[in-house]
Amino acid sequence: MGVFSVVIGALNQGFLQTLKLFSVTLLGSIPLGLLICFGSMNRWMPFHRLSAADAPRGIVGRLCRILSRLRPVSLLTRFFVWIIRGTPLMLQLIIIYYGPGVVMGHSPWPGGETGRFLAAAIMFVINYACYFSEIYRGGIQGVPVGQQEAGLVLGMTKRQIFFKVTLLQMVKRILPPMSNEVITLVKDTSLARIITFQEVIWAGQAFMKGSHGYSGLLWPLFFTGVYYLVFSGVITLLLGKLEKKLDYFR
Amino acid sequence: MALLEVRSIEKHFGPTKVLKDISFSLEEGRALAIIGSSGSGKTTLLRCLNFLETPDRGSITVRGETLFDAGDRASFSEEAIRQKRLHFGLVFQSFNLFPQYTALENVVLAGKLREKDRTQWPTLEKQGMELLDRMGLADRSGHYPHQLSGGQQQRVAIARALALHPDILCFDEPTSALDPELTGEVLKVIRSLADQDTTMIIVTHEMAFARDVADEVIFMDGGLIVEQGPARQVIETPQEERTRQFLSRY
Ligand SMILES: Nc1ncnc2c1ncn2[C@@H]1O[C@H](COP(=O)(O)OP(=O)(O)OP(=O)(O)O)[C@@H](O)[C@H]1O
Ligand SMILES: [Mg+2]
Repeated sequence: MGVFSVVIGALNQGFLQTLKLFSVTLLGSIPLGLLICFGSMNRWMPFHRLSAADAPRGIVGRLCRILSRLRPVSLLTRFFVWIIRGTPLMLQLIIIYYGPGVVMGHSPWPGGETGRFLAAAIMFVINYACYFSEIYRGGIQGVPVGQQEAGLVLGMTKRQIFFKVTLLQMVKRILPPMSNEVITLVKDTSLARIITFQEVIWAGQAFMKGSHGYSGLLWPLFFTGVYYLVFSGVITLLLGKLEKKLDYFR
Repeated sequence: MALLEVRSIEKHFGPTKVLKDISFSLEEGRALAIIGSSGSGKTTLLRCLNFLETPDRGSITVRGETLFDAGDRASFSEEAIRQKRLHFGLVFQSFNLFPQYTALENVVLAGKLREKDRTQWPTLEKQGMELLDRMGLADRSGHYPHQLSGGQQQRVAIARALALHPDILCFDEPTSALDPELTGEVLKVIRSLADQDTTMIIVTHEMAFARDVADEVIFMDGGLIVEQGPARQVIETPQEERTRQFLSRY
């Protein structure tokens, strides 16, 4: 077998791992993002009674007023989202994969590629869910309240209003920013390389040090770029088609 | 017996009292215009009638049936309200058509969601077409809202509200969001509804229209009914100083 077909075979295998991480991340983070979104929009105020007119004066009164407006679910969720969005994904991958081993003395992850994939997939899902949650929030808040009110006045249930009226308008709104994130995800999967997850870049780089009997080859690493280009091109086309489908209304 | 009986409605948002002891009644087939300066509580009153706001005090009775009584918490449940609000229809200042549906779909959507028996749907569509025809929009039934002018959109919204056969149709400044040259076509439609003895409550700043089309006029100021009576009398020979001041601006 020639060098080329050996390299392509190895890169294909690496790219399969890339695809696996990509699809698991999307499948997990799209619904988890909605959950996080609901959490950050949660309006539960357990202490709202403390704001009553007969609250004491002075520092206690002020404390009562602050406490009365506290939305713990929303606050905690937003804090979590801030942490995840405010730190590099690469760092998060290192922490989730190596952190428990350092703290507990032994790694809880299964050995080999299975463990690396599991750790990477979990971190990617959480990370992207946080980004998606913010996009969803914008999408939900962007649908005018008048839409909901028009539905209510026509005697529709909250459920009917969500599914028949607001959902599609939301989807239309979030599609462009979601497309951006998805394209970013295509390339971000390479960050899993940091915990030696054997995705396509890892496979390409291996030919420099020695792989399948070849070493000192630089071009396989460069060639991985073609995989990313083709894949992101396909995704862009598909998402563009979806956006076009929703072009019939404003 | 009056068709609609509103007794001592009060509503406040936080510390500000927006409606203070509103009482009036309306006979079947009559048109009532509500006038008053900005912030006097006209929109809030219509929203209370349509259960988009919950009054803090008072009661609302239609055909002798008490739909709402602030003293009776059982009348607050979402399901109870959903059935009762169908006694009222509401046409919004900003139309609030559903953008992803055609004019006809907008008109029949709520009816279809209520009608589980699909064999009845063609009948609903036929009625929807008839309504659009009455609005002078027969040739626009397949257009999406963004393909219609403001005046056309508002007429679709009127057809949509009529489709559920409300006892009382409410309008909140139906022409305020329209270019001056488009108000005429909407006012004409409302005038023809009045001629067909549709029971209506119209919040409007069009004094000439209120005088000519409405049977009665209520002038509101600061959350109170200052003056009410036959339309021509209130607008041409107001008894109260505040009414006179307000009308002198027109
Ligand atoms: N959801 C709300 N929260 C707090 N205040 C409100 C709310 N809705 C209305 N208000 C206040 O209630 C008062 C009456 O408002 P409303 O919209 O009923 O007046 P309006 O007579 O319809 O005025 P306009 O002619 O400008 O439409 C205003 O001072 C307004 O600021
Ligand atoms: Mg108003």
